[in-house]
Amino acid sequence: MIQRIVVAAALAAAPLLTSAAQELATAPPDTTGQVRTALAQQPAPLPWYRPRHAVVQTGGGIGMVAAGVGYGLWRDRAELDVLVGYVPKKHAGSTLSIATAKLMFSPYLIPIKERWQLRPLTVGVYYSYTHGTINDEEPGQYTKGYYWFSTDTRIGPLLGSRITYARDPSPRGRARNISFYYELGTNDLYILSYAQNRRGLSPVDILTLSLGLKADF
Amino acid sequence: MLAKQSKLYMSTRYARAVWIGLAGLSSCQWVEYSPNQTYLPVAERAQTARNLARLRETASPSTDTVRFVFIGDTQRFYDETERFVQSVNQQRGIDFVFVAGDISDFGLTREFRWVHQRLQQLRVPYLTVVGNHDLVGNGRAIYQAMYGPLNYTFRYQGTQFVCLDTNGREYGFNGRVPDVDWLHTQLQDTVGTRRSVVISHVPPMDEDFDSTLVAPYTAAVRQYGPRLALHLSAHVHRFTAGQPYHDGITYLTTYSLAKHRYHIITLWGKRQFRLETVQYGPQA
Repeated sequence: MIQRIVVAAALAAAPLLTSAAQELATAPPDTTGQVRTALAQQPAPLPWYRPRHAVVQTGGGIGMVAAGVGYGLWRDRAELDVLVGYVPKKHAGSTLSIATAKLMFSPYLIPIKERWQLRPLTVGVYYSYTHGTINDEEPGQYTKGYYWFSTDTRIGPLLGSRITYARDPSPRGRARNISFYYELGTNDLYILSYAQNRRGLSPVDILTLSLGLKADF
Repeated sequence: MLAKQSKLYMSTRYARAVWIGLAGLSSCQWVEYSPNQTYLPVAERAQTARNLARLRETASPSTDTVRFVFIGDTQRFYDETERFVQSVNQQRGIDFVFVAGDISDFGLTREFRWVHQRLQQLRVPYLTVVGNHDLVGNGRAIYQAMYGPLNYTFRYQGTQFVCLDTNGREYGFNGRVPDVDWLHTQLQDTVGTRRSVVISHVPPMDEDFDSTLVAPYTAAVRQYGPRLALHLSAHVHRFTAGQPYHDGITYLTTYSLAKHRYHIITLWGKRQFRLETVQYGPQA
C-alpha cells in the first residue's frame, strides 16, 4: 500500500521537475541511432503503462541482485524504476526480498561521441520495503512507539552518473539503448546516525554503492 | 571547437575520477546488499571467542580477584564510545570490559561494526551479551556472526560469568527466553569456581522481561544464592541497585554510554564486591 502511495507521489511530482529540466538542459541532439530512427519511420506510440526499459543492479542496500522495469519521464530526463531485489540467506541470516521504487532525475545529457552519451549527474530518492527479516515486528509484539523506526522500510537519497550506448533501433523503430550506471546512496537510519555522531562518523561511513545496467526495450 | 575540447577534457577527467572512485569503493565495502545483511570481514567475526582467548592469556593463578568495567547500551553513541574507550584505557588493573547489550540501535551490521571498531581500541578484551535492540530485524544473526552464542558462560579467576539473552519481548514472549533450564545447568556446574555472576540485558524487574518466566528465573538465581555474587543488567540506562525479591540477591543495572559514567566492579572472596563509578567527559 505504502509503495503504491510513493509511486503515485513520484508520478505527481514529475511535472514539477520537467520545467527545471528544460531550463537546465541545452537539449543536445539525441544519439545517432535515434536520429536514424527519426529519418526512417516514427514508431507507433506505446501505451503509457508499458515499461520503457529493464534494469538490473547490485548493491545499494536493495539486493545482491535487483531487477525490474522503469519508465522514462520528460524525454528521459527523469526515470521511475521499480525493482525487486534478493539477498540469499547465507549473506543475511534469512532470505530477504526487497521491493524498491526509485525516482531519478538527470538534468544534463552530454554526447561524448557517436552513439555514446553521458549523464554526469543523476539525483534521486528511493524507497524500499524488505520482506523476510528474522524479527519482523509481529502485531502486538511491541507497545505503540516502542521502536520509533521501521525495521523494514528504508528511504534515502541517491547520487550517481550514467553512460549510454545507442544500439541500432529495433526493426519497429524503438530505441534499444543500453546504459551503465553507478549510484551512491545512504538511508534514513544511517543519516541519523551520522547527524548525531559528527565527530566519530564521517559521511564516507554511511555511503552505499550500487552498480547497474539499463536496457530499453 | 574549443567548447568541444573542454567538454572532452571534462569527460575524461570525470571518467578517471569515477574509475579511481570505483576501485577504492570495492575495498571499502560500500556495496551493501541490505542494511540487514550479516556479512562481516573475517577479522570481525567471533569476537566472543577471540576475546575469551585473549582473556585466558592474562589470567593469573595467584589471585582470585576480578576487576572489570561494566557498561551497557552503546547504541548510536559512537562519539561517546570513543570517549569511553579513552577513559577506560587510562584505568589500571582492569581485566576486561563488559558491554551488557544494545550494542546497536537498529540491529544493522554497520552499527555493530562501528561500535566494534571503537571498542577494539580498548587495551583489554571486551565481552558482550545481546540486547533487545540487537535483535531487531536480522540483528540476531548479525550478533551471532560478530560475537557468537546468545547464551554463554566463561570462567575467569574463580568467577563464573553466566551471560544470557533475556529479551523476551523480541521473541513475542514465547515462554522460552530466557532459557531457565540452561541457566540452571550453568549454575549447577561449580567446577573450578568460587562464585557466579549472572549478566543479562533486560533485568527481571522490567516489563520487557517475559512475565511468565520472572518467577522461575529469579527462583533459579535464588537457588544458587550462597555463591551468587551479583545479577547485572543494563537496558534502563541508569544505575539501580537493590534486592527487589528480598532474597539476598543484589540486582544491579548500569548506565548507558550517553551518561558518561561507567562502573568498575571488583569481586573477591565468596560474595564480596566493590562498586566504583567513574565519570568522564562532559556531563550528560
